[in-house]
Amino acid sequence: MSDDALIRLGKSTSEAISGVLEMFAAGKVSAGEVSVIPAETNPMDSLALPAVATNVSYVDGVTGGNVFVMTLDGARKLAAAMMGMEQPEEPDAPELSELELSAVSEAMNQMMASAAMAISSVLGTDVEIGTPETKTFSEQAEALNVYPKAPHAVRANFTVCGEPCRLIQLVPNAFVVRMTRALAELGSEVTPASETAASPAGARRSAGAVGGGPSLSGIPVRVWAELGRTRMPSAQVVGMPSGSVVELNQAADEPIDLYVNGTLFATGRLMVVDGTDWAVRIETVLSSSNTSSESQMEVARWPESW
Amino acid sequence: MARVLVVDDAAFMRKMVSDALTKGGHEVVGEAGNGVEAIARFQELKPEVMTLDITMPEKDGLSALREIIALDPAARVVMCSALGQESKVLESIKLGAKDFVVKPFQADRVLEAVGKALG
Repeated sequence: MSDDALIRLGKSTSEAISGVLEMFAAGKVSAGEVSVIPAETNPMDSLALPAVATNVSYVDGVTGGNVFVMTLDGARKLAAAMMGMEQPEEPDAPELSELELSAVSEAMNQMMASAAMAISSVLGTDVEIGTPETKTFSEQAEALNVYPKAPHAVRANFTVCGEPCRLIQLVPNAFVVRMTRALAELGSEVTPASETAASPAGARRSAGAVGGGPSLSGIPVRVWAELGRTRMPSAQVVGMPSGSVVELNQAADEPIDLYVNGTLFATGRLMVVDGTDWAVRIETVLSSSNTSSESQMEVARWPESW
Repeated sequence: MARVLVVDDAAFMRKMVSDALTKGGHEVVGEAGNGVEAIARFQELKPEVMTLDITMPEKDGLSALREIIALDPAARVVMCSALGQESKVLESIKLGAKDFVVKPFQADRVLEAVGKALG
């Protein structure tokens, strides 16, 4: 049971940080396998040396540690990409420059902030992070006892600029318990809706995003219908009194959009079932090819408030 | 063109924000690496605009923002943070920030926010 929660945690974190890495090093990032590290294995074992490791802790909402480990070359290439350079200025220097170190720490800061937002939306509470700390290891032995031991650990692999990287999440028991409970609640909430919407196309798309196989077809997905959108200055939102009317962009006679895990999946008509509940009758199921990546990006940036 | 104070605990981010502002024709008059420094430099330099990170050691950006607005209610502050939760954005705006830029960002977004704050 807890392994399922750990893998879900690892996958949602992996997706969040891939998105940030992709902004820094476009086209040079691929996410690999997510696995639970057995209790008898030291998560910092078998590093490709020299290695650069940045750790960021969750400090509020939940506790836990996150360590992103890259090869020295990988860290340097990532830093170069973040500064808009094709290649590092000093590819053979034995240590990272101060600016390179700062860039790698900042990358981790932004990756973990994004992961914290993803976890916040699963747990339904704000999750906050501490400031990053970066260390360089030239010997395997140096790395083994640097980070506090945790009862559970998850590993997510990545390739960044052609170099292997791993994210290790050190997870206390309390975190696993909360994650398991939240996933169970999420599962029971979406069951009726997912019967309508989790058709093979939807399942395939959501499974593709986490790099999984057929076992993922049972994973609950979040399905929601969108009536319309608008944008306004935040100051206007803060100052909005009860009774104000917010106009949305969708015409009343147009079909509404149905989303599955943030991807526009179908359009349909709003209707009422059993005289009380809203429902959507699907008119058109969109294939993945006519769902532009632009519209997915747009949706992904909206806050996941439930 | 404005005199800007750039606050972020990461030297890399200070460089990125400063480069973007300089290219956009602004003058970066100073930098600070935490909330305590930010308040000191704000009083000393009296910048027209400042960019302010949230997660920082010593004193975080929201505490610094509260004190800066108390010192000068007309201070123009643009938050620049990776913590894009709605609660952080709303808290910043309620405290008096003019805009909120979520990292990672494109240079144009910082310039737009600074331009708007000046507007």
